Amino acid sequence: MSYFDRKKQLTVLNRRTFFIYLSKLIIFSIVGWRLFNIQVTNSGKYRTLSKNNQINIEILYPLRGEIRDRKEQVIATNIKVFDLYVIPEKTSDLSLTLNNLSKFIDLNFKQKREIIQLSKKIKKFEKIKIIENLDWKTLELIEVNKNYLTGLELIQDFQRVYPESQYFSHILGYVNQPSKKDLRLPYILKMPKLNIGQQGLEKSFNENLIGKAGNREIEVNSLGRTIREISKQMSTKGENITLTFDIGLQKYLHKQLSNHRAGSIVVIDIVSGDILSMASVPTYDSNKIIKKPNYEYWQELLNNPLSPLTDRSIQGLYSPGSTFKMIVAIAALKHNIINSKNNFSCNGKISFGDRLFHCWKTKGHGKMNLEQAIQESCDVFFYELSIKVGIDKIAEVAKDFGLGQIYPINIDNQKKGIVPSKKWKKEVYNKKWYGGETLITAIGQGYLLATPLQMAVMTARIASGGKKILPSIIKSSEEKKFDIMKKYSNGIKIVQKAMFKVVNEKKGTANQSKSNDFQFSGKTGTSQVRKISMVERESEDFRNIEIEWKNRDHALFVGYMPSNKPQYSISVVIEHGGSGASTAAPIARDVFNYINKTNIT
Amino acid sequence: MIFKKILNLNFFLIFVILILITIGTAALYSAGEGSFSPWAEKHIIRFGVLFFLMIIIALIDIKFIFKYSYPLFFLCLILLFSVEIIGIFGKGAERWIRIFGISVQPSEIIKVAIILALAKYFHNLRFDTIGKIYHIIIPAFFILVPFVLVLLQPDLGTAISIFLLGVMILFIAGIRIWKFVLGVIISLSSFPFLWGLIKPYQQKRFLSFLNPELDPLGQGYQLIQSKIALGSGGLAGKGFLEGTQSYLEYIPEKQTDFIFTLIGEEFGFIGTMFLLFLFGLLITICFYISIKSYHIFGRIICLGVACNIFIYVILNMAMVTGLLPVVGIPLPLISYGGTAMLSVMVSFGLLLNVCIYYNVKKINQ
Repeated sequence: MSYFDRKKQLTVLNRRTFFIYLSKLIIFSIVGWRLFNIQVTNSGKYRTLSKNNQINIEILYPLRGEIRDRKEQVIATNIKVFDLYVIPEKTSDLSLTLNNLSKFIDLNFKQKREIIQLSKKIKKFEKIKIIENLDWKTLELIEVNKNYLTGLELIQDFQRVYPESQYFSHILGYVNQPSKKDLRLPYILKMPKLNIGQQGLEKSFNENLIGKAGNREIEVNSLGRTIREISKQMSTKGENITLTFDIGLQKYLHKQLSNHRAGSIVVIDIVSGDILSMASVPTYDSNKIIKKPNYEYWQELLNNPLSPLTDRSIQGLYSPGSTFKMIVAIAALKHNIINSKNNFSCNGKISFGDRLFHCWKTKGHGKMNLEQAIQESCDVFFYELSIKVGIDKIAEVAKDFGLGQIYPINIDNQKKGIVPSKKWKKEVYNKKWYGGETLITAIGQGYLLATPLQMAVMTARIASGGKKILPSIIKSSEEKKFDIMKKYSNGIKIVQKAMFKVVNEKKGTANQSKSNDFQFSGKTGTSQVRKISMVERESEDFRNIEIEWKNRDHALFVGYMPSNKPQYSISVVIEHGGSGASTAAPIARDVFNYINKTNIT
Repeated sequence: MIFKKILNLNFFLIFVILILITIGTAALYSAGEGSFSPWAEKHIIRFGVLFFLMIIIALIDIKFIFKYSYPLFFLCLILLFSVEIIGIFGKGAERWIRIFGISVQPSEIIKVAIILALAKYFHNLRFDTIGKIYHIIIPAFFILVPFVLVLLQPDLGTAISIFLLGVMILFIAGIRIWKFVLGVIISLSSFPFLWGLIKPYQQKRFLSFLNPELDPLGQGYQLIQSKIALGSGGLAGKGFLEGTQSYLEYIPEKQTDFIFTLIGEEFGFIGTMFLLFLFGLLITICFYISIKSYHIFGRIICLGVACNIFIYVILNMAMVTGLLPVVGIPLPLISYGGTAMLSVMVSFGLLLNVCIYYNVKKINQ
């Protein structure tokens, strides 16, 4: 490249660089002028347009899925109600509107202040809910006085209702506004005002029941009036859930429990593991919790010493009493410590260490074998047996039969219960296990604690010949396959025979509850609530019915039906109900009778 | 050695870039309704990574860049082709390709490659032969092949910016004026052909540009809303995080192509002017570095980068102020989007590179 050539090129380049730089500045100026035009000269026009032309995005809340029983009968659904909202932007003066409103509805100073504070935080065209589920009288009053109440809006909404709330409250729980923590859940992210399940199945199945939000884009003018709808995407209703429960049976259980102050009954289908019914008294009314204001009702529930909010079926921890003797028997039979012919002799008490351990029958049962010992519920027999078996082997069997564990099913707040063992005591109390504690455990007292559901599962596992049945609450069409624990087969056979005798033979503790229409097997239990003093024990009638209610024994019964081909298992716990034989066993018989006469599946 | 090179960097340019990225992050923070997620946070992370890349590019020997200018161009062209082919065999229009797990838009990257290829071509050219017809054919190849490929994607905005970029570089390089006049005539006469080539939605966009009020809820909707946002900002703006138009979701793609309206609404005329001033400053720096360069390669790179930035800014601002149809062009360093930022930061890397190696004599050795 020659010098001149390069020079010429640079000249052209410089000239054109300058030219293009200049033209860029000019074009920038044009854009600048245009911006001046829009942002300064015509700003007023656009500002008005900005105010006039607003688009609201309304979230369309989805309808919550229904919950149904096993026959598809509705136990939780939604009804139409009217809610009262205020839109701060539309009021002439928010506090004036609220003051006027407080003449018609109950609105205290604190609530008013809360609404006013909230109005400062949110976008001014957003609605604030004042009261839910207005009654017709108030609705009419507000309609008539519309002129004094600027900015108020009545909006149709759906409210959760439980048609059978008194029977299902514990199981279903209730819905309520989400807490701050709940708001982080991904499925309610865009629906901050959605009622979500706060207890029971409503809570554990939130994700399925909630559904998907839709939205509606609307253009509104400066007065807030909707000009038109721009787009609409409907919400999707949540899934329906079908439970394993049966309304009829649930009602019947509650009817049975209505004669008692507190207690629980659980019925399980042995083949499928379906929980057919699970009742707990005292109970509460989910509908009353949902309906605001509910403060008084809450206080009433919280102050009730029997704590109606507790679902005793899964949260009530009871000493299983003599119903635990089957487990001890199965443990002994598995380890060949005893066979069906071995005898022990019972004279009413046994001394172990420096203590005396009593049989419920003060005079003693005399000589008896294992089957007789279960049939007549001899305590001394099981004291003797437990000494030979040892606590750890008993604990192992208890766990295999479903005690001391939380079932991996969608019921929140299950209590684990306690199956004591040497290791357990070391871990919890850091103390050595005493031999005497084995004896107490053998008759289902002491540290041992189980929920009615666990007892029903234990019975189902015995009745099924050792299948590891897991309870379920969601109905499924799949056939359930449970592993069978073959190691216990022989023991279970003997125990089943004994449980048959408990009900169906003369000396059986539940013989009085025998039914002529069907055969069922079971085991009574009477769990001691207080210590019985020597003086009382010596007097013949120390199990007097006249003692104070809270000091009476808990009455228990576990059983299954039919005896020859077990289909249903039951556990009955009546708090302070007296003896298992007199209180719990008849209930079990009546429930079986109901099932027998009614078509459940 | 490296330290000396670093001292040679244009720190004023880096300063301006930092101010722009800060404004961008603030605007995205506002667009995210006062939250770093989902945009502002990623924006700043991307910038951090690409800033390093920029410095590395600045330090590479310019001879190396010169040597690989053509291979780089063809590599980008292959990428563009592969997107096209995926688009044909896959379903629908595709602009993206995944490289090492990162989605990139080859149509953005190729702008830098075009600048380099043209710079090298004109550097090697004997100036007295510039009038020869084949010296227009090869540069035209560098410009028109990517242009047509991008137009077919279809990405009208990027295609136009590639075309404009090429034309500007050709002009600067010294192509005769009458050839441009001829070019304009050819372009205009091929308009009916182009009209058939572009997709119906783009035709609609063009028509709605001519009369936006015709269809306020359709294609013109964006334009009206963006004008309302800008206009309601007034002189001083509504204040940071106080914009209503953008919050009410009137502005679609408020975080990308329409981010300027958010700045206009919240910071007013003063804010938009300041931004315009910063971009003007950025371009001025490009011209300054260009004039300093001893070699044609460096000069054309700087001017190419200046034109590239200019085209981004002008197309974007003209689009949101209704001077041009809505074509979909981001605002560099402000809009959310990885590939545009990659392309821009690589450009700045090259700019700084020229800044360091401005006096290299024998570049082609």
